[in-house]
Amino acid sequence: MKFVDEFRNAQLGQVLAGEILAELEPGRQYKVMEVCGGHTHSIYKYGIDDLLPANVELVHGPGCPVCVIPMGRVDDGIAVARHEGVIFTCFGDMLRVPGSEYTLLDAKAQGADVRMVYSPLDALRIARENPDREVVFFAIGFETTAPSTALTLKRARAEGICNFSCVCNHVTIVPPLRALLESPDLRLDGFIGPGHVCTVVGARPFEFIPADYGRPVVISGFEPLDVLQSILMILRQLSQGRCEVENQYTRVVPYEGNLRALEVMAEVFELRPHFEWRGLGFISQSALKLSEAYREFDAEERFSVPGVRVADPKACQCGEVLKGVIKPWECKVFGTACTPEHAIGTCMVSPEGACAAYYNYGRLTRAQEAV
Amino acid sequence: MKPERCDPVTGHCITCGDEGIVMRVIELRDDEAVCADELRTRHRVAIDLVGPVAVGDEVLVHAGVAIGHLRAAAIVGARE
Repeated sequence: MKFVDEFRNAQLGQVLAGEILAELEPGRQYKVMEVCGGHTHSIYKYGIDDLLPANVELVHGPGCPVCVIPMGRVDDGIAVARHEGVIFTCFGDMLRVPGSEYTLLDAKAQGADVRMVYSPLDALRIARENPDREVVFFAIGFETTAPSTALTLKRARAEGICNFSCVCNHVTIVPPLRALLESPDLRLDGFIGPGHVCTVVGARPFEFIPADYGRPVVISGFEPLDVLQSILMILRQLSQGRCEVENQYTRVVPYEGNLRALEVMAEVFELRPHFEWRGLGFISQSALKLSEAYREFDAEERFSVPGVRVADPKACQCGEVLKGVIKPWECKVFGTACTPEHAIGTCMVSPEGACAAYYNYGRLTRAQEAV
Repeated sequence: MKPERCDPVTGHCITCGDEGIVMRVIELRDDEAVCADELRTRHRVAIDLVGPVAVGDEVLVHAGVAIGHLRAAAIVGARE
């Protein structure tokens, strides 16, 4: 398919790997963070890590929206799902994220009407078809996903659908990146920028990284050649002494973003003063809630929720993994107590989580290296 | 919905992975388009958030909503 196949060409991949090698300064160690969970998945799915020289290390950032949802928010979702007459809808991965006691999948097994949807528009359709039931959508995701929730709520209002509401957990990517950059135990040379978030917000919000923190950013697509070319562009900036935001994903990302999507988001959402991120704690103005104009669709106003903060399990080191301080396989419970089948931490739940990506694609290699 | 793409046990969730799927516009309706992915599976896609699209265009789809309109890219591997 056009725009897909040409970015999976193995021969060009080898060419790019050779160019990466030629760009390296002898004896220097390079650490590059991929911000987005989709990149983490591509890196292991296509074996990009194996094509890179040993002194280029990829660090996984906080870019999986499932991985950053704290337990207390899952408990809130379960409480809403258990209300009489509620049809609770959410994306697939969210079903298995552990709360303090149960997952949404457990709640479904215990009798709650929990349904998986692919789009919030599917949740709205369920509301339209079930006017005597309350339909709640558990909204998660970065700026890539927030426009679809915003569009759904605009349609709900336009159609006068009153039995639809939303638990809003949408988060924004810039505040946690700034928090990571402020972290004293982080050593990074550059960032692979989140291509699909940038499709919506554009490149401008990332200009603070080179300006304030002196690190290059290359906004990247998700096919294997996209990721390799982005790594090359970062290394080339470093070798040429440049530091700026570059856009590798020009076929999708306009520098100013998607103005229509931003306009709809501005109408439907406003910033939360604070939001808790798993492993990163509370970060101010890092999440979205429904604006005053759309408050009637806020499930947290419509239903009582516990709203209790729950500490992460002690054995779980998702926090360190999300900050890139340790690799997933260095966590004490990785692959033993914590597996995709029985996840303790959220990084193991989503296939895009760093731990699940390592477990599914990198475990054998690591085991061989250890021998 | 394609359950195999959003399976809670084994599958890959395009939404949680922040993934966008490139799809070709096959047919235009009022506020949506019928689009085909690389496996030629057809999907109903909301097109409110992108500019005018025509049959044959490629769009980037996330959670049932087109969020981008694809343009010709630079040749991969070429030096910028």
